[in-house]
Amino acid sequence: MSRNRQWLLVSLIVLISMIVSACAPAATPVPPTAPPKAAEPTKAPEPTKAPEPTKAPEPTKAPEPTKAPEPTKAPEPTKAPAPAGDTTVYGTKLPADAAPYDMQTWVEPCDIKGNHITFDFQVQVYQRFCASDLFQDQLVNLDKDFNVIPNSAEKWEVSADGLTWTFHIKKGLQWSDGTPLTAHDWVATYQYIADPKHAWDFAWFYSGVLKNWDEIIAGEKPTTELGVKAVDDYTLQFTTKVPWPAFPAMMQFSFVLSKKQMEKYGPMYNSKVETSLSAGPFKLTKLEPGKTIEMVANEKYKGFRQPRLQKIIVKYMDMSTAFAAFQNGEIDHLGYEWISPADMEIIQKDPVLKKNYFPHFGDFRTDYLVMDTYTKPFNDLNVRKAFAHAVDRESIVKNVLTPIKGMPAYSFLMPGFPASDKEGKLKDLQKYDCKLAKEYLAKAGYPDGKGFPKLEMWLRNESPAWQAVFQAVAASISSCLGVQIDVSNKDYKVYMDALNAKPTKLQFGAISYGMDYLDPSNMLGIWLSTGRHSWKNDQFDKLVREASSMTGDPEKRTKMFQEAERILVDDVGGIFIDHRWLGDLFQPYVMGDCFRKPDSIGISAWHWGNDWCWGDFYISKDVTNYKTYRTK
Amino acid sequence: MARYLLGRVLSLIFVLFVVSVITFALMHTVPGGPFDEGKQRLPDAAKANIMRKYGLDQPVWKQYLNYMWNALHFDFGIPYQVPTETVASLIAKTWSITFQVGLMTVTLAFSLGITFGMIAAYRRGSWVDTGVTFFATLGTTLPNFVVALWLILGFAYGLKLLPSGGWSEPENWLIPGVFSKDWILPVLAYALAPMALVARYTRASMVDALQSDYVRTARAKGLRDRTIMVRHVLKNAAIPMVTALGPIIPDLITGSIFIEAVFRIPGLGKYFVTSTFNRDYPMIMALMLLIAMLWGITYILTDLAYVALDPRVRLGGKMR
Repeated sequence: MSRNRQWLLVSLIVLISMIVSACAPAATPVPPTAPPKAAEPTKAPEPTKAPEPTKAPEPTKAPEPTKAPEPTKAPEPTKAPAPAGDTTVYGTKLPADAAPYDMQTWVEPCDIKGNHITFDFQVQVYQRFCASDLFQDQLVNLDKDFNVIPNSAEKWEVSADGLTWTFHIKKGLQWSDGTPLTAHDWVATYQYIADPKHAWDFAWFYSGVLKNWDEIIAGEKPTTELGVKAVDDYTLQFTTKVPWPAFPAMMQFSFVLSKKQMEKYGPMYNSKVETSLSAGPFKLTKLEPGKTIEMVANEKYKGFRQPRLQKIIVKYMDMSTAFAAFQNGEIDHLGYEWISPADMEIIQKDPVLKKNYFPHFGDFRTDYLVMDTYTKPFNDLNVRKAFAHAVDRESIVKNVLTPIKGMPAYSFLMPGFPASDKEGKLKDLQKYDCKLAKEYLAKAGYPDGKGFPKLEMWLRNESPAWQAVFQAVAASISSCLGVQIDVSNKDYKVYMDALNAKPTKLQFGAISYGMDYLDPSNMLGIWLSTGRHSWKNDQFDKLVREASSMTGDPEKRTKMFQEAERILVDDVGGIFIDHRWLGDLFQPYVMGDCFRKPDSIGISAWHWGNDWCWGDFYISKDVTNYKTYRTK
Repeated sequence: MARYLLGRVLSLIFVLFVVSVITFALMHTVPGGPFDEGKQRLPDAAKANIMRKYGLDQPVWKQYLNYMWNALHFDFGIPYQVPTETVASLIAKTWSITFQVGLMTVTLAFSLGITFGMIAAYRRGSWVDTGVTFFATLGTTLPNFVVALWLILGFAYGLKLLPSGGWSEPENWLIPGVFSKDWILPVLAYALAPMALVARYTRASMVDALQSDYVRTARAKGLRDRTIMVRHVLKNAAIPMVTALGPIIPDLITGSIFIEAVFRIPGLGKYFVTSTFNRDYPMIMALMLLIAMLWGITYILTDLAYVALDPRVRLGGKMR
């Protein structure tokens, strides 16, 4: 009752504020939320070596949880949960502090503005439903420390020439209809994604790596020629074009489709409940895109992450309403992209929310400035150095980006990533030093910015929060060097089209990249002269190409990548601004060692590629102290 | 009259043709396509495969002719964003919902807007007038998605009176098949701005009419106030209102991405935005033609309304 009155008061305040804002000169409408960016592939990685635990960046503060904290407001005890079993469909017991099995549910939000069509990475990467990739297990997975671990494959080995990878698939794995999961399913899947008629949207991924991939894509060879073969039911063999030590890491994306189902219903069989088939921890029970998706624990699942959750519900909603819904107990987990800067401020101030926000590396994403180094003025290294030294990263991260969302970057690979500069040896090459920056610009023939052409800095459809960051970067450069920079936020595809054009149509812009798999060959590979940027350094090309396909001496390989990155930073291929910290917000009653227990460098979080988490999450008894959708 | 109408319909068809050419040319001039190179460049062959899959490998004029030929046979293609549907079925499915939202919004906005506007004009200078003017200003300045969030926070999460979203959900029916609880907040949020606009226009044109000679004459004749207001003032004030307010209707019945997203309404509104971002050419074309047609029809209806309202107006440009 008093609660209602309290809300009446709130409504009144809202009304009054409406009145006040109406009296003010015409309110500028809030800019519409940025359109949903094409989802980049969800979690993936592996290293030839896991990032050494020496010292990795610490999030401003890695929150230490383990114990369910008390709720902000004294929650009214709601009715006691109906007594239910503590045994899962797999016959395993729930942890002692877990709520009854019928309360082991999970609601995940999904952007209602998105248009999704498939659960399967191999059908279309950029239009996957929320909570996808739960209908199969890949060959490998990553543990908490980013080590590649067996998943559907129990072990693998490489031939002496480094060209043939043999994966041994676990016996006894099966689809939800009881059909065994075999190497033939993978062969059919790979032949399907290479098929020119399928026109897979992620085709660059195996380009130059898998044998005959490029020829098949171009329609010059049949799909049966692809370097993926089933030696027998449980032995799967991949042949690569060049030795590729990072291959097991790439297998984080080896999602499998059912050969039988593809032949019978076509590759989109998972987009219909009746024909859907799962070899993963969950199976589809309801699919109403734009409204809801429901999946339940797949009792036939024999893999490494048998879930404690009995049900996952995907709820479509607008991004602007998600945080309120979370606070109202309607959602169990909010990913980083759902949390606005204003929400983040609330989280930082609320002890309970703060304790349950877990920052992580995400996809080791770095924001940086790109320049067309083939034409004036950026073909002059002095100009590039001047710009690099004119960015006051520390102040921008501290004041605009905020340290919970990023750390200053002086190089491309985020500390913690394999071969990254953990000691800060590259720091001096691009650090903020306005005096030095001015000297370089003068050396280039533009003392105090005189005669320097006016620049337009393009942004790739950034959200208001990121626009502010890049505005600050532009301001830092122009105030130090006296050059004029206009910032212009562009449509995503217009931006990418200009960047990718050869010769490029993008003179100067801000962009980011996050890894696809945890190996320097992936991140540094985009800087090759054949990659997306207009910067060329023969020595860099040689080092990266050689190291990418070098086997036998991981230490030397790492050294070569490190040298390559030094060249990239010193020759100012890009100007590095920040490495992003991502994070997840969980309800206080969501438990799981997978994210509540720290990894080897002390970070507690749901790390990218650690798909085991879906077998670890559970809802604690504490949930009965909160008002949630379960008790409605 | 029939001849006039036929002429108007023919000119509408010509307009649709022009719109189709311009839209087709424009959308193919904008960089990008139905592929995503946000991570790395696609190999040329892979990109060519995608273009071939969507028939984009052909010259643009040929694509246009193909499209128009199919469109004349009521085949508007497959939306790239939702390849499991056809453009026609997707629009039919989503627009039927958006149309309901729009119709209720139009009804609410016009009935309340006109009523408030009339009262304000009649009691000019009183506190009622000040109040109406004030709320009208409020309604036009506040963006509907902000109002929507406030309504959700207040009525759904705070007072827990109404659902925070959904459309005609089984659990929300107050009178099954007739009225659903989840209609209230979206229609309210959506109607606020047009309602304010209608109220302001009504007030302004009625104040104008109230000061005219024929009103004075009517008063002198001893007619009752009510009769004067409805028969003389409202009727004369209606012409500027129809001109200004008619075009709100096609906007309202094609939906708003903000209202539909915030209230989880599976409507058409979002496709106006996502089609452009995703370079969903068949969907862009269909939506542009739909909008053009609705505007054309609205203008024809507006002109017909003039005839009904003012006997001096003759269609066909001939004055008698």
